[in-house]
Amino acid sequence: MAEHLLEVKGLKKYFRLGRNQVLHAVDDVSFYIDEGKTFGLVGESGCGKTTVGRTIIRLYDADEGKVLFDGMDVHKLKGKEYKQFTRKMQMIFQDPYASLDPRKTVGAIIGEGLKIHRLCKTKQEYTERIYELLEIVGLSREHANRFPHEFSGGQRQRVGIARALAVNPKFIVCDEAISALDVSIQAQIINLLVELQEKLKLTYLFIAHDLNVVRHISDDTAVMYLGQIIEMAETNELFNNPMHPYTIGLLAAAPEADPDYERSRPHMLMSGEVPSPINPAPVCRFSSRCPHARLKCTEEAPELKDIGNNHYVACFKIQEGWV
Amino acid sequence: MQERILEIEDLHFSFDTYAGEVHAVRGVSLYVNKGETLAVVGESGCGKSVTVQSVMKLIPTPPGRLKSGKIYYCGENITHYSQKQMQRLRGNEMSMIFQDPMTSLNPTMRIGRQIAEGILKHEKISAKEAKQRAIEMLKKVGISNPEKSYRRYPHQFSGGMRQRVMIAMALVCNPKVLFADEPTTALDVTTQAQILELINELKEELGTSVVIITHDLGVVARTAERIAVMYAGKVVETGLARDIFYNPKHPYTSGLLESMPSGGETGKTLASIPGTPPDLFAPPKGCAFAPRCRYCMKICQEMPPEATELENGHSVFCWLMHPQAPKYELPGRKSRLKTPDLKGDL
Repeated sequence: MAEHLLEVKGLKKYFRLGRNQVLHAVDDVSFYIDEGKTFGLVGESGCGKTTVGRTIIRLYDADEGKVLFDGMDVHKLKGKEYKQFTRKMQMIFQDPYASLDPRKTVGAIIGEGLKIHRLCKTKQEYTERIYELLEIVGLSREHANRFPHEFSGGQRQRVGIARALAVNPKFIVCDEAISALDVSIQAQIINLLVELQEKLKLTYLFIAHDLNVVRHISDDTAVMYLGQIIEMAETNELFNNPMHPYTIGLLAAAPEADPDYERSRPHMLMSGEVPSPINPAPVCRFSSRCPHARLKCTEEAPELKDIGNNHYVACFKIQEGWV
Repeated sequence: MQERILEIEDLHFSFDTYAGEVHAVRGVSLYVNKGETLAVVGESGCGKSVTVQSVMKLIPTPPGRLKSGKIYYCGENITHYSQKQMQRLRGNEMSMIFQDPMTSLNPTMRIGRQIAEGILKHEKISAKEAKQRAIEMLKKVGISNPEKSYRRYPHQFSGGMRQRVMIAMALVCNPKVLFADEPTTALDVTTQAQILELINELKEELGTSVVIITHDLGVVARTAERIAVMYAGKVVETGLARDIFYNPKHPYTSGLLESMPSGGETGKTLASIPGTPPDLFAPPKGCAFAPRCRYCMKICQEMPPEATELENGHSVFCWLMHPQAPKYELPGRKSRLKTPDLKGDL
């Protein structure tokens, strides 16, 4: 038994876009997740958070680094072992409209994994299992013979969750699983995910851009910027005591449903936009927008270091205590 | 009494489809004061975009059909204006920013010309002056190097920058009302903050009234002075931002506020609203929210509720406000400020 359920070590994923153009989608990312916990990954679009999720589950091959799941290197698994692995790790996708096969019934979508892994001996057991899964996610058995287009977004997301649960996984990657849903439906799905986690002892990697949702659901949170983790800590610590200038800016930018508070606090706006991830220079990637940047930031890249309390920050200002 | 720029009275708008008539808007009454920001909040499919688009007459007939209701713009009844008459208003008097800056700009036209087009259409002005105005506007919305950007195409800009171009296009003729239909939904948080700030600044500077349509309550809290909450084609509650957030009177508003995870607390279960919105092919005869409502009574399923007026223009469409109905304390948001600043101009 490994120390952590999932351990990511120095993960790199580059996309080659043509001559001398390399997009550094994920650049040296390391973290670990313990069993039964939820790890939140936040960042703006294009920061590589989805690529991290997809590389962990081996939808992409890693360029460098390791993903250790239960002590096994995910990217070296072959044949039988790989098939075993696909049972243990599942994914819930962002877009409930695009991630379900429109030509299959919901029952067939959910049952596909059961068939592939031969988890049911008889036909009756198979149907019973599908009914059971539908009920677990709050749908009813009549839904098994319907097609995805007959469902609303929230219901489709429930189907996506049932599909992920079908093979009894230990670990689920939720890639923006609730972003496409309305607020009242979002709350339903968040509650469902939390409930399932307790009931089935699941571990989640929760990828999202909505800070309040991540704060609600995660035990630990990491903030990504341009392919790198720039800050990582226990969730409350991170949100109550953000250190990295980017995290601070991100929290200030996210509006809260509280008009008095919104009107009273100063809105520090981060200027500029995220630079291109193509062939980035080996410097602090936030330096072009950082209000505290000094010469050193544009010459070297800071490393992610523990500053105590299991709070990791990649920033020279914090690490060296600049005023 | 503040001057009302726009007033909508009992608007009904339907779409005729092969499957039948979709009652998208079922009796919406709204008004917009001069220089204020009104937020129209609701989930997808509740008719918030249709309301606004039917005011601007942007929905082709068929399939869209204005069934009844009146629309007043600056006291003038524009309900039955022809497209030709509307062309004088659109862009000049009222304009709109769309959700998706990727698809709502013309990809084959340089952005400068797209901005100048509006001025040339509405004002007797030379092409040179129009260009000058467009460049000024680009500067105002924070696009660096406006002279050069004038000659660029939309694809050469990022999402946030394109939304800035859209805002420049919308505001170049100094309209009295700006409709912003989910202006930041497609953007990242940091860009969203920049765009909201920009809309706010320009609103102050030009005295434009803004109607912002959104489903994001955080965006509402940051921008709006007044709020209208819509559900299944109707306004269910309207009032000042503070009243709506801290003292909601409609169970739907309260449920919506509760279902948002709040920054401070990390309790494990969120209060959620069970079920889904009703089908607008066959809208329910009673209150549309009744099947999902915790406090549903018998009458809720029989008859649609009437408006109950409270103080400060706060009005609620709910049977719970009836004198004979049981009284409940509906939870709202709590402000994180310990001592609310009561003199604020909310």
